[in-house]
Amino acid sequence: MTDLALDVVQQLLNGFLFGSSYALIGIGFTMIFGVMDKFNLAFGVTALAGAYTALLVLHLTQGPLALLFPVAVAAAGLVGLVVELVCFRWMPRDYPLAPLMATVGMLFFIDEVIVHGTHGRPMAFPAPMGEVMMDVGPWLLRGDLGFMFLVSLGVMGILWTLVYKTRLGLATRSVSQQPVAAQLCGISLVRVNAAVFVITGMIGGVAGVLIGSAVGALSPLLSLPLTVKGLVTAVLGGLGSIPGAIVGGLLLGIVEYEALYFFGIGYRDMVTYLLLFVFLVFRPGGLFGQTRH
Amino acid sequence: MLAIEGLSKRFGGVQAVQRVDLQVRQNEILGLIGPNGSGKSTIVNLVTGVYAPTEGRVRLRARDITGWAPHRVLAAGIGRTFQSIRLFGGLTVWQNLWVARQAQAGAGRLRGWLAVDRAGMKRIEATLEFCRLLDRRDELARNLAFGEQRRLELARTLTADPEVVLLDEPAAGMNVAEIEELRDRILTLKQRGKTIVLIEHHMELVMEVAERVAVLNFGEKIAEGPPARVQDDERVREAYLGKRRD
Repeated sequence: MTDLALDVVQQLLNGFLFGSSYALIGIGFTMIFGVMDKFNLAFGVTALAGAYTALLVLHLTQGPLALLFPVAVAAAGLVGLVVELVCFRWMPRDYPLAPLMATVGMLFFIDEVIVHGTHGRPMAFPAPMGEVMMDVGPWLLRGDLGFMFLVSLGVMGILWTLVYKTRLGLATRSVSQQPVAAQLCGISLVRVNAAVFVITGMIGGVAGVLIGSAVGALSPLLSLPLTVKGLVTAVLGGLGSIPGAIVGGLLLGIVEYEALYFFGIGYRDMVTYLLLFVFLVFRPGGLFGQTRH
Repeated sequence: MLAIEGLSKRFGGVQAVQRVDLQVRQNEILGLIGPNGSGKSTIVNLVTGVYAPTEGRVRLRARDITGWAPHRVLAAGIGRTFQSIRLFGGLTVWQNLWVARQAQAGAGRLRGWLAVDRAGMKRIEATLEFCRLLDRRDELARNLAFGEQRRLELARTLTADPEVVLLDEPAAGMNVAEIEELRDRILTLKQRGKTIVLIEHHMELVMEVAERVAVLNFGEKIAEGPPARVQDDERVREAYLGKRRD
C-alpha cells in the first residue's frame, strides 16, 4: 500500500471515530425536529454548557475525573428542559418563527454566560486518553477517539432501547409521525416534548465531555461550530431520522478529516458546507429522509 | 351527555362555526351533516381540543371541558376518528393500538412500567377482531389498503374505550360492501352503550343509523330532528341543492 493510501485510511479511521461525537450532536437536533417539527439552535451550546458545568464542578470539588460525565449529563439535561420551557412551551403558538428565534437568542445568551464566566479564554479540559496510542496494523488508533467512539456507541445503544423498547419511546415515535392523532390517543405532548429535551440534553452533555476531552480544551468559540455541524449532520442524515443522524455524523467526520489531510485546516469547513449544499440540492431529504404519515 | 353551547370559531376573517348549540343524549347516534365547508369537522376539532373555541362551552356530563388539551378530552371520555386518515404509518397495526392503550395505562407510574398489561393485550385483540384486522396485526399501518386504514382508525379510537365516539366521515372513500360493514359496526357500538356522533356525507348511511340529525350550513345549525323530518326541511334542501328560483 502506498503512503498516500495509508494516510487516507488513517484519516478515514480518525474521521469515523470523531464523527461519532457529531452523531450525538446530530441526534439531538434530529430528535427535537422529529417530535416538534422545529429547530432548536441552542442544542450545540447546551452540550457545551454541560461540559463547562462539569469542568467547574471538578475544579470546585477537586473530585475524580469520573465526575465529568454524570455532572455534564445532569447539567445539560437541565439546560435542555429550560430551553424547552423558555423557547418552546412559553412561546405564543400563533407565531411559528418565535421558537426558532428564541433558540437563537438562547444560543447567544448561554454563550455570553460562558464568555463572562471564563473571560472568553479557552480552558484546559482533562484528556486522560490523550496520550494513549495503539497500533492497528500500519495505522495508529488514538485512544481518545477510540474512547469517544465506544462511549458514543453505548449512548446510542441506550437511546435505541429507550426509543424502541419503552412506552416513552413509543409515545415519542407516535408524536413524531402524527402529533394530533397521538394526543387524541391520550399522549400528553407537553410531557413528551419535555422528556425529549431532557434526554437529548443529556446526550449533548456526553458529547460535550467527549469533544472537550478530544480537543483538550473548552472554549466559547466551540458553540457555533457545534451548532452548525449538528445541523449539517441532521440534514445529511435526513431530518427526524436517528439512524440518519448517526450515519450523517460519521460521514461528516470522515469528510472533515480527509479535507484536513488534502486541503489543510483552512479549507476543512468549506468542504463541510459544500457537502451540505450538495445534499440540499441533490438529496434534500438526506440519507434516511422521513416523511410524516 | 355531550353539550355544545353557543360554540363559535373564527379563523382570521372566516367565521367557521357560529353560535352552534347541540345536545347529544346518552347512547344515541346523532348524525351531523352539511355541505362541504359547513363547519362539521371544525366542531369535532373544537370538542376534542384540537382548536380552542372563540366563544362557547363544551360540556361532558355537565363537566366543562372547553379548551382542554386533546389527551385530557380523551381521558374525560371522548374519542374520535379523522376525516383524512391519521395513522402512525411507521408503526404496525398492533402498535397503533398499543400507543392508545399505553397512554391510558398510567404512564409514568412504576407499576405501570413494570407490569405486563395482559388486560390491555386482550382488549387490543378483541378490538382488532371487532374491526376485522386481527390477521393484519403485524403489518405496518402505511401498507394497509384504504378500507383497512379506516378500520384501523376506528379500532385505535375504541382501544381507549371512550364513552362518546365522534366519527368524522368514516365512510369516505369506502365501497358499498365496506359501508354496510361500517353500518353494522356502528349499530353494534350503540348496542354496547356508546354514544356516537356521525359526521357523514353518505346520506343513506346517516338516515339508516342516526336517531336524530343536525344540519350545518355556513357554520350555523339550520335544522335538527329525526332523519325523515330533516330530509324534508326546506332549508336543508336549499343548503344541499341551492335555492329554487321563483
